[in-house]
Amino acid sequence: MSELQKSFAKAKLAKLPPEAPPFSMHPPRDEDDSESASSTGTVVPSPSRQLFARSRGSTCGVIFRLLAILTHPRSNSVETLNWTDFFTQELFLIQETDSARITHHVYLTPPTNSGPLFVMHHGAGSSGLSFATCAEEIRKILPKAGILSIDARDHGQTSTYTETGEGKVELDLSLETLNRDLVFIVRETQSKMGWESLPDIVLVGHSLGGAVITDVAKKGELGPKVLAYAVLDVVEGSAMDALQSMEKYLSTRPTRFPSLASGIEWHTRSRTIRNRTSARVSVPSLLYEEAAPTDPSKPWVWRTNLAETKPFWENWFIGLSKKFLEARGGKLLLLAGTDRLDKELMIGQMQGKYQLQVFPEAGHFVQEDQPVKTAQVLVDFYKRNDRSALVLPPKVADMQASAAMKQGAEAGAVPPFGRGQGSSHKP
Amino acid sequence: MSDLDRAIAQLRACRLIPETQVRELCYKARELLIEEGNVVCVDAPVTICGDIHGQFHDLMELFRVGGDVPDTNYLFMGDFVDRGFYSLESFLLLLCLKVRYPDRITLIRGNHESRQITTVYGFYDECIRKYGSANVWRYCCEVFDYLALGALVLGTSSELEPTGPVMNDSTQTGAVLCVHGGLSPLIDTVDKIRLIDRKQEVPHEGAMCDLLWSDPDEIDGWGLSPRGAGFLFGGDIVKQFNYRNDLSLIARAHQLVMEGYKEMFDGGIVTVWSAPNYCYRCGNVASILELGEDTSNGGTVTRSNGDYGRSNGIMTVDRPGVRSPGRRYRVFEAAAQDTRGMPAKKPVADYFL
Repeated sequence: MSELQKSFAKAKLAKLPPEAPPFSMHPPRDEDDSESASSTGTVVPSPSRQLFARSRGSTCGVIFRLLAILTHPRSNSVETLNWTDFFTQELFLIQETDSARITHHVYLTPPTNSGPLFVMHHGAGSSGLSFATCAEEIRKILPKAGILSIDARDHGQTSTYTETGEGKVELDLSLETLNRDLVFIVRETQSKMGWESLPDIVLVGHSLGGAVITDVAKKGELGPKVLAYAVLDVVEGSAMDALQSMEKYLSTRPTRFPSLASGIEWHTRSRTIRNRTSARVSVPSLLYEEAAPTDPSKPWVWRTNLAETKPFWENWFIGLSKKFLEARGGKLLLLAGTDRLDKELMIGQMQGKYQLQVFPEAGHFVQEDQPVKTAQVLVDFYKRNDRSALVLPPKVADMQASAAMKQGAEAGAVPPFGRGQGSSHKP
Repeated sequence: MSDLDRAIAQLRACRLIPETQVRELCYKARELLIEEGNVVCVDAPVTICGDIHGQFHDLMELFRVGGDVPDTNYLFMGDFVDRGFYSLESFLLLLCLKVRYPDRITLIRGNHESRQITTVYGFYDECIRKYGSANVWRYCCEVFDYLALGALVLGTSSELEPTGPVMNDSTQTGAVLCVHGGLSPLIDTVDKIRLIDRKQEVPHEGAMCDLLWSDPDEIDGWGLSPRGAGFLFGGDIVKQFNYRNDLSLIARAHQLVMEGYKEMFDGGIVTVWSAPNYCYRCGNVASILELGEDTSNGGTVTRSNGDYGRSNGIMTVDRPGVRSPGRRYRVFEAAAQDTRGMPAKKPVADYFL
């Protein structure tokens, strides 16, 4: 390759979506040994993961990726993607409270054939479309699954008005309110869709959303239909630590963008979202165009003013670890980067109280950075906790009783360990 | 002094040995382990140890409390690596001791002795950090594949009572089965463990996975493990398994116990945890279990750090449920922490809302 070609290739490579990084950002796994672990460590062996996938950093892979880019320039696009590519419908659910009228906006793909409903709650400053790519992947693996991804208050297209329609509603993002909103949305969706009963539910929450769904799971307001809950990349101890530097971090973000495309570009370039496709669908919902912009060259501003949410930060995370361990149902904690467990979760994990997975290559927006892997973990997690499919080996007392009955009938002894355990071994 | 003795001395001082020596050590260890069955038979007296997790200084404390190799016969029930900062030093020292005194130390496999788990929980990164490449990690993983899955301790507590046909008789005087996690619905006899083809990465399901991942729980029969692998099993399962296999006890590790050890189901199973102040912050004590040849009831012996005559038990605390013949628990605390060489605290996440 000439110097020119090389620099061209480098420039192209720098813009690649990180889904399949040509050069891993991670410590290099040994390339020459097919027995090396894949770079995607998970804590629990999951049936559908390739344990010994060959490392992807080969020269061959780079050239292949490069060719793909050259022949399909669109894969580097910053064009926005529409939510309709990822969900079948949207609902506007109206809630009247004493002081305000709220129109909750949700994205929905209803479950079919008594499939489960994954209820997704995004983190602060994000939107329901943060789960768009992940939702699509879930349905590729489990077509009967439904997805309900909500826009929380002051996020996405959910809007709040005062009763008179004038003035601004006081910002209320307390955990209690967000909990009530989520329960309302699920119930209201049920009635709007005419479901006789709720489907089996897996609650999934990212960051702040993780705190909300844990609170909902702990309070049990959605009843026994909640099979399990999954928390994505939030841990009480580390969140509280990080809050101190949050304001500083927020001040380093751009406050306005000249266009949606530049917003998408910023999210991918800063590696806030490490997956271009996901950024193309989720970022447009984070920004809106000011009617009379203070800076006409940059009319696009953040929909949610994160700095304003500061009074609620501690309220979101205090007690999260305890609630996570105590609530009923299957528990999954999926973390990005390294495990940042606090003491409570460390003890809980080593006592085997929940399932922990770590995606070393993902950033904070795990479900956007690694939608395929996140979806696979969530589907496996659902299947494991699906009570209708669960067949456990028999209890000793039952076997003794049946042996006694057979003996009573002079049918001879039955081996204390039942037959056909192989088939009933795993759900 | 042989090379091996030199390596042992060096590792005891928490200094690593050269990569070429690691390679040779792992090769020798593999040759030894390949001869062992899936279930190793060990004669009492023996000292049973649970998870270590790279807490090297606490492993040294364990040797002070339990006696040194080869004076004391040891059985380690896996999870040597990950989470702590000295997985390499800890595992390589144990491996050296195994090669040097093969009949005085037994190592069985834990769920962390796996490629998949070590890439996430620190051992892989430690190898890269300390040796600059993944070679040593790969040598170690090859050894992991050859570790036995369990051990059977024979000759404990020689007082032979008639073994009654009563199912719930938990004071039998049979052997002690040691395994990292617990039982599997696919395994109803110890002989079935012997049939597993163990020389592989820990699978995500099946008998081998269950032995390394399952936990006992206060339930009837089998339950779903919240860990996402293995099963929960109840007291009825333990009693039946012990009765069928003429076992007096199942000793296992795998679960953090704040008190260092925990007996369940009328003493039919015990969890032994040997990593004090786990991860340098959990605040738990650790223990080892000495299985004697006689019926003298050892009870529990606790000692605190800095006590004179470290390996002598000072105080006997009677706890309900631990007065089983031939069992003595030594409880110990974390070694005074040497913070040198510890990596800096993990960076705080910059974005967490």
